[in-house]
Amino acid sequence: MSEQAIDVRDLVVRAGGLRAVRGVSFAIPPGGRMGLVGESGSGKTLTALSLMGLLPAGLGATGRILHDGADLLTLSDRRFSNRRGRTLSMIFQDPLSALNPVQRVGEQIASVIRRHTGAGRQAAMAQVVDLAAQMKLPRPEEIVRAYPHQLSGGQQQRLMIAMALSCYPQLIIADEPTTALDVTVQREVLRLLSAAVDERGSALLMITHDLPVVAAMCETVAVMYGGTIVEIGPVAEVFRDPRHPYTRGLLDSQPDIDRIAPDGSSRLESIPGMVPPLHALPKGCAFRPRCAFATELCERMPPLEGGARKAACWHPVSGPRGAAP
Amino acid sequence: MSEQPILELRGVTQEYPLPRRGLLGARPMLKAVDDVDFAVAAGQAVGLVGESGAGKTTLTRMLTGVEQPTSGDVLFEGRNIWTSGQDHWLNFRRSVQVVLQNPRSSLDPRMRVGHSLLEPLRSLGIEGDHRARVAEVLGQVGLDAAALDKFPHQFSGGQLQRIAIARGLMPRPRVLIADEPVSALDVSIQAQVLNLLKSLVTDLGLGLILIAHDLSVVAYTTSAAAVMSGGRVVERGPPLELFRAPQAPETRALVDAVLTVERGLAGKALE
Amino acid sequence: MTEAADIPAAPRRRRKLNVSLAIGLVLTLSFLGIAFVSLFHLPGDPNMPDVRNRLLPFGTPGHLFGTDVLGRDILSQLMMGARTSIMVGVGGASLSLLLGSVLGLWAASAGRVTDETIMRTADILLSIPGIVTALVLAATFGSGAGTTIVALTAFFTPSFVRVIRSAAISVLVEDFVTAARLYGRGRLFILARHVLPNIAGVMIVQFTLYFAAAILVEAGLSYLGVGVNRPSISWGLMLSEAQQQVGVSSPLAMWPGLAIVLVVLGLNLLGDGLRDVMDPKLARRGA
Ligand SMILES: Nc1ncnc2c1ncn2[C@@H]1O[C@H](COP(=O)(O)OP(=O)(O)OP(=O)(O)O)[C@@H](O)[C@H]1O
Ligand SMILES: Nc1ncnc2c1ncn2[C@@H]1O[C@H](COP(=O)(O)OP(=O)(O)O)[C@@H](O)[C@H]1O
Ligand code: SF4
Ligand SMILES: [Mg+2]
Ligand SMILES: [Mg+2]
Repeated sequence: MSEQAIDVRDLVVRAGGLRAVRGVSFAIPPGGRMGLVGESGSGKTLTALSLMGLLPAGLGATGRILHDGADLLTLSDRRFSNRRGRTLSMIFQDPLSALNPVQRVGEQIASVIRRHTGAGRQAAMAQVVDLAAQMKLPRPEEIVRAYPHQLSGGQQQRLMIAMALSCYPQLIIADEPTTALDVTVQREVLRLLSAAVDERGSALLMITHDLPVVAAMCETVAVMYGGTIVEIGPVAEVFRDPRHPYTRGLLDSQPDIDRIAPDGSSRLESIPGMVPPLHALPKGCAFRPRCAFATELCERMPPLEGGARKAACWHPVSGPRGAAP
Repeated sequence: MSEQPILELRGVTQEYPLPRRGLLGARPMLKAVDDVDFAVAAGQAVGLVGESGAGKTTLTRMLTGVEQPTSGDVLFEGRNIWTSGQDHWLNFRRSVQVVLQNPRSSLDPRMRVGHSLLEPLRSLGIEGDHRARVAEVLGQVGLDAAALDKFPHQFSGGQLQRIAIARGLMPRPRVLIADEPVSALDVSIQAQVLNLLKSLVTDLGLGLILIAHDLSVVAYTTSAAAVMSGGRVVERGPPLELFRAPQAPETRALVDAVLTVERGLAGKALE
Repeated sequence: MTEAADIPAAPRRRRKLNVSLAIGLVLTLSFLGIAFVSLFHLPGDPNMPDVRNRLLPFGTPGHLFGTDVLGRDILSQLMMGARTSIMVGVGGASLSLLLGSVLGLWAASAGRVTDETIMRTADILLSIPGIVTALVLAATFGSGAGTTIVALTAFFTPSFVRVIRSAAISVLVEDFVTAARLYGRGRLFILARHVLPNIAGVMIVQFTLYFAAAILVEAGLSYLGVGVNRPSISWGLMLSEAQQQVGVSSPLAMWPGLAIVLVVLGLNLLGDGLRDVMDPKLARRGA
């Protein structure tokens, strides 16, 4: 089977009669780090939830998700939940909603460890304190005895990372782990996540709409739009020389302080319009209504083509960013 | 900066009581804003940056007259809003408007957008042709009249933020205070909203106070900025200068925290 | 930078028939219908004993549901009982809704001292068993539908205060309320125009649930003899009489019991159905 930490092939997620994720394929090698970027509603979270077997009721996934010698989409609920937290685990955007409000945080993490390793209560708790210390939480013995609401967002998120990493998973999925945090806290949390992932040799799937975060954390990047991957490849190549007009638009709308004119005349480039809702996706290339390069050809779906880096566009742009007028 | 400021804080301090430590003894006080001077003039965009808890939101409560400061003066057109009488107060209320962080929460989900837009005019008792004003403001924020009959859930986040800005513009304010107006929006939409705010300053001569914790957002939109930390203003200057040569350690920390694509690719971002 | 303001309308969603809403509506409407008919027409006199026709079985011509130990027509009694249930249910639920809303909104929007005072009082009231309140009231004012309504109101209002307060607080922390304050709207305006419309769904759902609870409690009180008395009739009273006179296993006890079960079930299903339909998360989902 697949040698990858995760190998997703032609994943489709259906919501009602509509396809919210429309044929997504990517693979992350063991220890590799991939960023999944795109605007709200582009299908990032549904992709992640399919990988975790946590799609909300009424949504169904088809395709293949190969991980640890099995196709996750064919696993029974019981066998899936036996993997969750052990070979793959997830960090959510809103840590507070992912933690049980009436149980001490330490006990919650300890119960994950005990379920998967069979460690005793004491041993698991000692491990939790260790993890909290690794996450640079002050006074770890006390913090693990706190209830979730007694902690700041940054502290909660660090504990979520500790929980996700507690069983040395092969793959960690982080869905907007720092969006709810302040910039200075964000940096610290990313740094800890990065170090912890490295130390365990886990692969990382980092979901975000924040391109600088991907640039800082990942080796490869996949850009999603309207439920499909429109560009994928090594992060330096994709970000320095984007092929897809949407990727380029995203990069140009970044407020990049290194490129601001001192006279205050700079304007941010913005992509006109907005992401169309699922039921109103245009025929062919989903980006067509917002694309400056669109032609009649674009009414047919462009294939995702190329070698190590691929782009789904009939008229790929090229040339370094910032050079354009 | 030479112009006469429209809205100004002079030596403003705001204290909140903390829970008592023991049974006896005075209640300890927290200085959420500590002796701050701050001003904005017509056609000027001023930024206010700082980590969370720095006191930015408390400062806007002074600027909008929601709370009276423990000490110091809040001046509108040079006169103290708390001591200059009803007429001046009313004029101040009309002239200073806000745009808040979360566009989904900024508009009443059960009120049609058209109704929400008229609310400030009705509340502030402003006379005139309201329909013409609505049409004018919608034009300024780049929305069309079809928006008026809809409910907030029918819009995207970026559109809602434009509507919230439109509502702020309805009473013809002279100062607009935007508290983290883009942090809840997607990047490509952030750019649309920041550009809109920037053009309102140049086209309408509005005074803009832009609050953010991301220095690069402020650098794009404003020409002067103040850095807050622990309730005090620790440094002021043009944002690009603050960025290139930060003096205060708090500014340095904010600058270091700014992630950009280039820094990320260079592998320096998380050092 | 002008852009089209509208997201294209969603294709008409195939409305999955909301089963509990449908069943709840049918049961509740039939209940209301029966009570309404009883205002104009009763098949017999529910209070007139008729010794020659005692304990007639179900299906007897002239007495469709039979008669009780004293020969009184059961169908007429059931219809009268529906009327009482509505009076007590609507009375108890609406009075407590009204009081609960006023107090809940007040607690939510006033300062800490007022809030604490109202909420602590509510807690204390909640800790007094409802039956005690009912007994005291019945002993003081005599039992009857009016007293039952007052007892129900005393019993339910604290729970309403809690629900309304927390719903109102979740609206009051929204930015549109902050914005309204900033352009000068006062507390009453904000409560009436922003808070009420946004918690109306919660109020309606609560109302149906407490309507049902009121019917149950009334049945309980009448069963214990501190509720409704003849010549008024309630289902609880019928149950109690049936049991005293012939034992619960008789069909005499079954009819009012069944009526109570069906109506309470109907109102609860209706409440649940409405909750689903009015869930703001579903309603607010972007097109
Ligand atoms: N439970 C659901 N039922 C129906 N449609 C859904 C559901 N969840 C998501 N969708 C739709 O699927 C699409 C992708 O949603 P998803 O949550 O994956 O987006 P996202 O890229 O993670 O956005 P965000 O940045 O807001 O988290 C959207 O059009 C969304 O409206
Ligand atoms: N009403 C209040 N009572 C007590 N403390 C407050 C109150 N409002 C703000 N503070 C405190 O004042 C400081 C500044 O808060 P705020 O102005 O909200 O910061 P920012 O907007 O920069 O995140 C924080 O420590 C906050 O906890
Ligand atoms: S395929 Fe056409 S419409 Fe789509 S991104 Fe490329 S040029 Fe634009
Ligand atoms: Mg998401
Ligand atoms: Mg704030």
